[in-house]
Amino acid sequence: MKSQDESKEPQPLSRRRFLQGVGIHSVGAVAMATTLPKVALAGEPSVDASALQDPAPNTLGPDAVEVTLQVNGEARKLQVEPRVTLLDALRERLDLTAAKKVCDRGTCGACTVLVDGELRYSCMTLAVECVGSKIETVEGLAPAGQASAVSEAFAQCDALQCGFCTPGFVMTITHHLRNEKSPTLESAKRACQGNLCRCGTYNRVFEAAVLAATKGAGLPSGGGTGAGAGAGLKGGN
Amino acid sequence: MKRFEFVEASSLAQAAKLAAQPNGAVRAGGIDLMDLQKEHLAEPDRVISIRRVPGAAEIREEGGALVIGPLVTLAQLASHPVALAKWKAVAVAAGEAASPQVRNQATVIGNLLQRPRCWYFRNELLQCARKGGPDCLSQEGENRYHAIFENKDCAIVHASNVSPAAMLFDGSVKTVKADGSRREIPLAKLFVKPEVDITKEHVLEAGEVVEALVLPAKAGGDHSSFLAAREKSAFDWPLFSLAVRLEMSGNVVKAAQIVFGAAAPTPLRREKAEAALVGKAIDEATARAAAALCFEDATPMTQNGYKVAMGTALTARAILAAV
Amino acid sequence: MASNSRKNVALDREDVLKLGFAGNVVEKRVTRKDDEVRPWDLETKFQYVGTRVPRFDGLAKATGRAKYTYDVNLPGMLYARFVRTTVAAGTVKEIDLSKALALPGVKAAEQVWDLKNPVRYAGQAVAVVCCETSEQCDDAVRAVKVQYERKPHVVTVEDAIKDDAPQVGNRKNATEPQIGRNAVDVEEIDAALKTAAATVDVTYRTQVQTHTALETHGTVAHFTKDATGAEKLYVWASTQGTFTVREGLCRALKLEANQVEVISEFVGGGFGAKFGADETAIWAARLSKKTGAPVKLMLTRKEEHLCTGNRPDSVQHVRAGCDKDGNLVAWHVRNWGTGGVVPNAGARNPMIYTPRGMKTRKEEFAVLTNCGPQAAMRAPAHPQGAFANEQVVDELAEKLGMDPIAFRLKNDSYKQRPAQYELGKKLIGWERRNPKGGDGPLAGTGARKRGLGVAAATWGVNGGADGTAVAIVISPDGTVEVRNGCQDIGTGTRTLLGLTAGEALGCPKEKIRVRLGHTTDPFGPASGGSVTGPTLSAAGVEAGHAAKLAFLRKLGPKLGVEASSLDVVAGKVTSKDGKSWSWDDACRQLGVESVEITHTRGENFDAGFQGTVGGVQLAEVEVDTETGFVRVIKVVAIQDAGTVINRLTFESQVLGGVIQGISYALYENRWMDRRSGFMLNPNIESYKIAGAADMPEIVTVAFDLANGLNSAGVSGLGEPTVIPTAPAIANAIANATGVRVRELPMTPDRVLAALAAAKGGAK
Ligand SMILES: Cc1cc2nc3c(=O)[nH]c(=O)nc-3n(C[C@H](O)[C@H](O)[C@H](O)COP(=O)(O)OP(=O)(O)OC[C@H]3O[C@@H](n4cnc5c(N)ncnc54)[C@H](O)[C@@H]3O)c2cc1C
Ligand code: FES
Ligand code: FES
Repeated sequence: MKSQDESKEPQPLSRRRFLQGVGIHSVGAVAMATTLPKVALAGEPSVDASALQDPAPNTLGPDAVEVTLQVNGEARKLQVEPRVTLLDALRERLDLTAAKKVCDRGTCGACTVLVDGELRYSCMTLAVECVGSKIETVEGLAPAGQASAVSEAFAQCDALQCGFCTPGFVMTITHHLRNEKSPTLESAKRACQGNLCRCGTYNRVFEAAVLAATKGAGLPSGGGTGAGAGAGLKGGN
Repeated sequence: MKRFEFVEASSLAQAAKLAAQPNGAVRAGGIDLMDLQKEHLAEPDRVISIRRVPGAAEIREEGGALVIGPLVTLAQLASHPVALAKWKAVAVAAGEAASPQVRNQATVIGNLLQRPRCWYFRNELLQCARKGGPDCLSQEGENRYHAIFENKDCAIVHASNVSPAAMLFDGSVKTVKADGSRREIPLAKLFVKPEVDITKEHVLEAGEVVEALVLPAKAGGDHSSFLAAREKSAFDWPLFSLAVRLEMSGNVVKAAQIVFGAAAPTPLRREKAEAALVGKAIDEATARAAAALCFEDATPMTQNGYKVAMGTALTARAILAAV
Repeated sequence: MASNSRKNVALDREDVLKLGFAGNVVEKRVTRKDDEVRPWDLETKFQYVGTRVPRFDGLAKATGRAKYTYDVNLPGMLYARFVRTTVAAGTVKEIDLSKALALPGVKAAEQVWDLKNPVRYAGQAVAVVCCETSEQCDDAVRAVKVQYERKPHVVTVEDAIKDDAPQVGNRKNATEPQIGRNAVDVEEIDAALKTAAATVDVTYRTQVQTHTALETHGTVAHFTKDATGAEKLYVWASTQGTFTVREGLCRALKLEANQVEVISEFVGGGFGAKFGADETAIWAARLSKKTGAPVKLMLTRKEEHLCTGNRPDSVQHVRAGCDKDGNLVAWHVRNWGTGGVVPNAGARNPMIYTPRGMKTRKEEFAVLTNCGPQAAMRAPAHPQGAFANEQVVDELAEKLGMDPIAFRLKNDSYKQRPAQYELGKKLIGWERRNPKGGDGPLAGTGARKRGLGVAAATWGVNGGADGTAVAIVISPDGTVEVRNGCQDIGTGTRTLLGLTAGEALGCPKEKIRVRLGHTTDPFGPASGGSVTGPTLSAAGVEAGHAAKLAFLRKLGPKLGVEASSLDVVAGKVTSKDGKSWSWDDACRQLGVESVEITHTRGENFDAGFQGTVGGVQLAEVEVDTETGFVRVIKVVAIQDAGTVINRLTFESQVLGGVIQGISYALYENRWMDRRSGFMLNPNIESYKIAGAADMPEIVTVAFDLANGLNSAGVSGLGEPTVIPTAPAIANAIANATGVRVRELPMTPDRVLAALAAAKGGAK
C-alpha cells in the first residue's frame, strides 16, 4: 500500500497535501462563516463570491493514506484507501474484531460501535471520516482480561447464543445505559431496534440491560423472558 | 466499492463546484450513497464530503421558519423540542425512519434525496426503466412493495419518510450551484414524476448542493401526524405512509393537508380529501369518508391491492390522530 | 418392570432406574459393568445439573474476545472472493481472468467452473480471486469477465410443474411421488372420509426460508510445511462439523488426516447449512497452497443467501376427517416443494397424530427449480408440515365445536403432553379463549382483535455413540480440562459437556475448562439433528465418571487410603471413614502428575421412558383487521428433552426456537424474480428477520424428564422448539379473526386477503 505522498497518480483537485499523522479536522476548518450564507429569494439567482475565498478542500486518495484514529483511547495509525469502511479498518487493519461484518449494508447492527459517543454502523462509515473522532468498540469497554458491567450481565442472563451479534448489542445497551437513567425492558427493546439476532436472544438482551443497570442484583428469575416475565416454573418432578 | 478520491469541502459552495465536475458525488451522512456504491449503482471517482462545513449541522428557527442544515441528522430532528412542538409530523417521521444507528448518521436532506429502494432498481444486474432499460420490471414482476398510484411507467415508491411530512408545511430547499448562484425550490416542485423524467427523482442539477430545508411555520403544526405501516414493527420500509396536518377552529377543520409518502413515485397531495374535510368536525365517519376519497384514483398492481384497504384505514387513523 | 440394557455388552450389575416425570414415574431395570456410571434418573442427586449456569464462553463472547473464523487474522494473510453466475440457466462460454490478474494486489485468480457443466442457478461459483486486501477483491471480482449463453429458466414450483416448463436437470422437474410408509390407496381414504363426521379439504403453503446465520460460510486456510518438509494444512472453519470438514479436505487435497487440523472454537450460527468441506474450505486451502500465504475466504451476505442452502417451500393439499368424537379417521396429504437444483424438497409432512385406525396417505413431489440448493434447516420438513397439520386439526375441532387441545389429546399418544397442556393453559390463560373465535373476552379494541392458539411438536432423534470420545485432564492445580473435537454453534455445547463431565467427576464447576473445536482432540459429532446434546452429554457423564475412578486410583496411595473407599462428592474428596479433602488439596497430592483419560461413549440404551421429545406452544396474538398487521403478544413454550442439564441454556434454546418460529410465521420469505431468475432480496433488508421490536413476552419452560435413553438421559433440543410456533400463531389468528391464513409468512396482505375473502363469502 502506498501513502498519498508516494502516489504517482496525479491528484488534480488537491490543492493541499494531506498532512501525515495529523487529523484531517485540523485542516480547512478555520475562519469559516458560522451561519449559512445569506440566501436569495426564490427565483432570484444570486452569485456568492464567498466560495472563492474558502480554504482549499482536503483531498485524500484514491490511494491509501495514513490516518490516525482514536480507538478506545489510543491513537492508532493506519494506512487506508478512502473507500475503506471504519469496520474494515478496525477488523482488517487494527485486528479489533469484536465488531462483526454481517450485512455490510447498515441493516443488522453487528458492526455497531460508538463514534463520539453515538451509536453508528461502522460498515456505513468511512475510516477517513473518523479522524478526530472518539471511537469505542467492545474491546475498549473494560481493561484487557476484564469485562464491563454490560458484558457481565449479558453472560449472566445468557443473552447470547452463537454470540455473533453480541458485541453489537453490547454497544447498543452500553449506549442505552449511559443515556437512560432508569432503563426498563421496554426501553431496552426500543434501543435495540437497529440490532438483529438470528439465534433469537432478544428478550434476554432486554433483561441483561436491566440487570446491568441494577448491577449486583443477581440473576434474573428463571422461566419467563420478556416484558412481565413469568415466574420460574418448571414442569414435572 | 470502487476506489474514489475523498474530498472534504470547506463550504457548500465549494462542494457544489467540486460536485459539478464529472463523476463526483456529495456525501452527507453517506448512508444511501454508500449503499449505492457497494452495489455498484453509483461509482463516483470523487466523493465530496460536506461534514467539515461549519454550521451545517445546525437547526435554527429563523423568522418563524425551521431551517435545517445539510448535516442535521434524522436523530437530531426527531428529538428537537421546537420541531416536536410546531412541526410534529416531521419530527415523528424522522424518528421513525430506519434504526437509531442510521438516524445518527443519515441527514434529513440526504433522506429527501435518497434513491428508491425498488428491488429491481437496486439490483445491478437488472436494467429497469429508471436505469435506462426498456421497461419497468415490477409491472409483471414482484410488486407487492410497489406504488399504487401513478405507477404505469415506473412503480417505485418515494422512499423518504421526511418529505411527505415536510410538504405539509410547504417546505422548500435552498440550494447553491457550481456557479455560486442560489435558488429556493418548493418541495412540491423538487420531486420528479416518472412521466416527466423516469431516470431522476429530483430536479437538482449536477453539482447543485442543498444548503437547507426550510419549513415555514404553519397553523396546526401541533395538529399534524405521520403514520407508516410496516411488515415488521420497526426498522422496515413502510408499505404505506402518510402525513396529515389540520388547522382547527374549535372542533371544525379550517384547512387540511394530506400527503402520501410510500404510495407513489413522488409524495402525493390528496387535495380532494383535504377539501372534503374543511368545515367538518372530525369524527370517525368524516375521517373514513375523506380516507376513501384519497384512494379513488388508486391503480393497484398485480400484488399490491392490499395497500388500498390498508392505506384507507391508516389514512382515517392519521386524520383522527392529527386532531 | 421392563429391562433396559446396552446392546452387546457383557454386564455384571443391575440398577433400578426411576424414569418419567412427576405423576408418571416408571421403574426400569438397567444392567451395566461395574465401572460404568449409573445412568442418571429421577433419583440422581445433582450438584449443579438442572441449575442455571451462565455458559462458560459467555464472557468471551460478550467482551468480543471470542475469535470466530471471520475474525482470524494471520500475518501476511490474503483475502479471496468468488465470482458467481449471473444467469439462472445456460452455459458458461468463456472466463477471462487476465484483467483481474493484472490488477494491483491480485495474487491469484482461478477458474472454478468446468465449462462442460450447465449453469443451474444464478449464484454458482465460476471463479475465485485472491488479493492482498479485501477491497482489492471487489475490484478483481469485477475485472473477471464471464460470457454466458442464456437458456430458459424456471424458479417457482407452480411454473416448474407445467408441461412446457424448461427442464432444470436431466429429468422431469417433479420427481415421481414418494409415497409415505403405511399408505393406503386413495379409494380407502375416500371411503374413510365418507364416514367422517367432519372433513376438510384445504391447501396450505409455506415459503422458502434461508438460514441466514450471522457469520457467513467461510474458511481461513494456512498451508505450511514443517521443519521436515511435511505438508500441514491448518483450517479455521465456520462449520457445524469440524471432522466432516477435515475429511472433505483430505479427500479434495489428497492429504492424510494427520496433515489437516480444523479449528472451530466459535461459530456464528449454522442452523443446518454448515456441514462438510464446502467450496470456501476447498478453495481457501487450494489458494493458500498456491500463494504460500494464509487465505481468508468468507462469503458475502448476498452469496450466503444464494448458494448455501435454504428450507424448501411447500404446497400441501390436505384432505382429512374425524368421527363425531374427534378421532381422526383419514389423513391424505399431497405435497409439492422445491429444494432448488437438488431433487430433495425435504418438505415431508411429518404427522404427529396417528391414532390407531386412521387411514393415511402421503404423496410427496420434489420439484427442481433454477434456485440455490436446499440444505437441512433446523427441524428439516417439520415446520412446513406442522403449519398445515396443526391448523387442519384446529379446523376439524372447530367443525365439531371441540376445544382444540381436547381434540389433540384424543389423537396424541405422547405421554408428557397432557401435563404440558395443563401447564400451558394456565400460563397463557386459556380460559379467556372464545371458542367461537372473533369477538369474546379477548376482543381487544375496535379493529384490533385478540385470539389464542396452540400447537405441538414431537421430535425423535437422540444421538448415539458413533465413536464420540471425551478426554479429561485433571491437573495438580485442580483444573479439569475436558476436550472434544466438535464445535459449539451457539447451542451451549461447551457448557453442556463441561457440566456433565464435571457433575460425574464431582469437581467444583469453577475448575472446569472445556476445549472444543480442534480436530486434534477426540472425535465428536457434527451438529445436526439435535444429536450433539445427547451424544456429548452422555459422553461427558461417562468420561467424568471414568476420570473420577482414575483420579481416585491415583490419589488413594498418595493419601494412604484405599481408592475404593474414596469418592468425590460436591467438590470434595471424601472417604468412607468420614475424612474429607478439598478438591484443591486433593489435586495437589498429584505432585507433578496429571490424571488423563480418554473415554469412548457407550451406546444408547434399548428403550427408555420415551424415545422422542415433545413440547407444546401457546400463542396470544392481536390482529389489526384493517391493516392486516399481526402482533404476537405472548408465547408460552413448554418443552421436554430429557435431563435438563443447564436450565439457562435450555431455555435459551427454546427461546431461540420460538423467536425463529415467529420470524418464519410473519416475516421471512425468499422472493425470486420469475423473469430474470434472480433472488430479489439477498440481503437482510428485504429478507426480513424478526427484530427486537417484534418480540412478545415469551415464557419458556423446561419440562423435566428422566428418559433413561443414555447415561445422561439427555435428548435433542435444538430443533423441535422451532416447529410449533408458526401454527400456534396461525391458530391464534384464526381464533382472533374467525378466518384462516393458509400461507406463510402471514403478512398483512395475506391477512387482509383472507378477511376480504371471508367477507365476500358471507355476502
Ligand atoms: C436499512 C435501511 C433502512 C432505512 N429505512 C428508512 C425508512 O424507513 N425511512 C426513510 O425515510 N429512510 C430510511 N432509510 C434511508 C435513510 O434514511 C437514508 O439513506 C438517509 O436518510 C440518507 O441520508 P444520508 O445523509 O446518509 O444521505 P447520503 O447518502 O449522504 O446522500 C443521499 C443522496 O443525496 C445526495 N445529497 C446528500 N446531501 C446533499 C446536499 N446537501 N446537497 C445535494 N445532494 C446531497 C447525495 O449525493 C446522495 O445522492 C433506510 C436506510 C437503510 C440503510
Ligand atoms: S454489518 Fe453493519 S449493519 Fe450489518
Ligand atoms: S446470538 Fe447468534 S445471532 Fe445473536
